[in-house]
Amino acid sequence: MILEIIAYVLIGAGLLMASFGVLGLFRFHVVYSRLLVSSNVDAVGLTLMMTGMMAVSPDYLFAGKIFIVLILSLITSPLSSHAIAASAYESGYRAK
Amino acid sequence: MVYCISILGVLGIIVIIRMIQGPTIWDRLLTFNQLSSKVTISIVMMSIITSQSFLLDIAIVYTLLSFIGSVFIARFIRERGDF
Repeated sequence: MILEIIAYVLIGAGLLMASFGVLGLFRFHVVYSRLLVSSNVDAVGLTLMMTGMMAVSPDYLFAGKIFIVLILSLITSPLSSHAIAASAYESGYRAK
Repeated sequence: MVYCISILGVLGIIVIIRMIQGPTIWDRLLTFNQLSSKVTISIVMMSIITSQSFLLDIAIVYTLLSFIGSVFIARFIRERGDF
């Protein structure tokens, strides 16, 4: 019961963070600012939601697999953000 | 948990609107990156609801494939149509 309450609080906080990340896409007007906001806030929301779902999962196998998904996402998300930023910089896009 | 999936779907639709009206091509790549993370979270929630373990394998494969697609499209743009 306590574990479920903790899990739903974590998932709600993660959804709030994901909503802030989507709001940041509309508030900023340069690619680099959008990249920074969406990458940071989205990583926080993903970590919170995955931790909440690990707490509410019915089995240890489920928790281990969700942990593998979390680790893979935390490795690959900054790498793709860096690739997009390097592509924008080396193609000649500059922030005004 | 079902409400969480519907909220994620609404966020995904807003991200798709941003993807359509994004001015440069890097905005579209960025929104693709964000949309794929939301789809991954939705797949994990779906596997928790139906308590089927093989959907998590699909989530792992989806994460790796979205990473490969995003990195190679960015590299394709950076080298101007050549790897």
